[in-house]
Amino acid sequence: MNDISIVVNSLRARRLSTIITAASVAVATALLLTMLSLRTASFEAFQRGTGTTHLLVSADSSPLTAVLNGVFYANAPSNPISWAKYQEIKNAFPYDWAVPTQQGDSFRGFPVAAVAPEFFTRFEPVRGEPWQLAQGQFPSKPFEICMGSTAAAATGLRVGQKVFLTHGSGSSREAEHAHEHAEYPFTVVGILQPSGSAHDRVLFTDLDSSWILHAHDRREREGIEGMTTINDLKDDDRKITGILLRLPTRPGRDASAAVQQQFDTLRRDTSIVVAQPAQQIDRLRSIIGNVDELFIALGVAVLLSSGISILLSMHNSMAERRKQIALLRALGVARMRITGMILTEATLIGFAGAIGGCVLSLIGNAIASGALKARIGLVVDPTLDPRSTVMIVAGAIVLSALAGVLPAITAYRTSVADNLRPEA
Amino acid sequence: MNHAVKLANVNFDYGEDFSLCIAELSLKKGEMALISGGSGSGKSTLLWLIAGLLRARSGSITVAGQRMDGVSESAADRIRASHIGLVFQTHHLLPEFSAQDNVALALMAAGEPEKTHATRARELLEKLGIERVHVPVANLSVGQQQRVAVARAIVCKPTIVLADEPTASLDEMNATQAMDLIQQACREAGAALLCASHDRAMQSRFERVIQVDSFVTTKRAHTKSGARA
Repeated sequence: MNDISIVVNSLRARRLSTIITAASVAVATALLLTMLSLRTASFEAFQRGTGTTHLLVSADSSPLTAVLNGVFYANAPSNPISWAKYQEIKNAFPYDWAVPTQQGDSFRGFPVAAVAPEFFTRFEPVRGEPWQLAQGQFPSKPFEICMGSTAAAATGLRVGQKVFLTHGSGSSREAEHAHEHAEYPFTVVGILQPSGSAHDRVLFTDLDSSWILHAHDRREREGIEGMTTINDLKDDDRKITGILLRLPTRPGRDASAAVQQQFDTLRRDTSIVVAQPAQQIDRLRSIIGNVDELFIALGVAVLLSSGISILLSMHNSMAERRKQIALLRALGVARMRITGMILTEATLIGFAGAIGGCVLSLIGNAIASGALKARIGLVVDPTLDPRSTVMIVAGAIVLSALAGVLPAITAYRTSVADNLRPEA
Repeated sequence: MNHAVKLANVNFDYGEDFSLCIAELSLKKGEMALISGGSGSGKSTLLWLIAGLLRARSGSITVAGQRMDGVSESAADRIRASHIGLVFQTHHLLPEFSAQDNVALALMAAGEPEKTHATRARELLEKLGIERVHVPVANLSVGQQQRVAVARAIVCKPTIVLADEPTASLDEMNATQAMDLIQQACREAGAALLCASHDRAMQSRFERVIQVDSFVTTKRAHTKSGARA
């Protein structure tokens, strides 16, 4: 017989109340841990997609808009960049690569991006994770399409099927006025492996095809009949909406000291907007940071409420335990030792709840990470961050111990004489 | 040191309503005495004072040669755990604990080595006729619970056992058996016994009867509030 066996016996005697209280701590701990995991995952998800790009050039209104449109495909950029400007930028500095992209069309609401072949061969959507094909091949001829994993799953398209693209972003607002490029069917030639980025929602084709579609529209407006070919393109038809740039780096390194210098150089050209995607994403994070803090605050509030439930559960049990405490005192157990037992009891509930919360969070994360990646392409690491886990577990245990202070004081003050004397 | 307990010039009161004054009272080792008096006469108060659960205003209380008065509460706790066994009217066993664990609690409080608890508790319970030592005491009969309570009181081989109305809730036959058990157990443990009872029939069982009324100096409506442990 020792203090711990008395505590365990006491917890066992109030089994239901103990389980419910520990479960409330477990749920609060799991909620906080999952929120932190999702927070980290969402930050990482934002960074995914910028991949190996150092600078993004567009003709959008601001660098943040350029990143939202160019990396996250929020909208089709409204202002084009001429092919001549692309050549000028590309030739002004020995970039590692400069990939032109054009957006503006869609398929069933999924954005279409026309890209240069280097987009698949040089650009990596996530650093160290180049494009991988799930099926088929990358586009090698005009009017071929390679689909992002989410778009492929949602539309059910397979390699070999034909599709017609729609002019515009395909949003519900644009849908009724949407113009389908019905003369030019595209063939799905490949489906990409998930990258865990916004690219997974995109259908990729080559620049020539996109230019031919829009040149054909122009020629129709001009009253020219017949199909448009690449030979019919004018210089003005060769427009792009973005340029992904990467500066040379040392092998194995991502950073380049020349990025800031080149950024400043490009900014002098007022006809374009240049953005450092990582910087803009940090800005975006600070904008949405308040929402994120709200979620964390909610988690802490749930944890506090579970602390209160420990306090209430133990406080309520004190009335029926006065005789037990008085008896221990009568047998010669010191007040402080009994106080310690009550605190140990609260701490054990908190400990069991916190460990249960970790297990719950691990199971939840494992289920959620698979579902999130499959459904929206968000990559969530199912493991728990050791630092935040230790902090949250320690927090839950300390909070539980604090919740035991009031019942412990009640135990300390319990009168032996009042509680053991037979009623007169 | 020939006394199990010795009180000299002890004064205690519950405010202005009730006060006790004990010029001298002692019990030799192994001696058995009955404190007699009516309900609310101060019998329990006297036992609580000796046990250190109530603190006297003045005077000295010595148990097994050690002063209970004027020492710290934790020192009084240690003396109580090692030298005093308590038997209560309603047993005050922990219902969710087994018979063995209830007895082991006293050993734990007295600081006896933990590895000896189970064996000592079991052996004593078996000697007192309890074989289902692992059963929660709530599942035992009243008579068996009484035996467990007596085992808990004597397991540490106390100098004195203080029994507070141990038969008040029992019928005559069970009361006789309970007292036989307590006195026999004290005899075998070599412990003195100070038993408080309002039952006059109990007087014949004791070689010495102390009338608590002789110590009471003030008595109005007896209240339980006052100096407490």
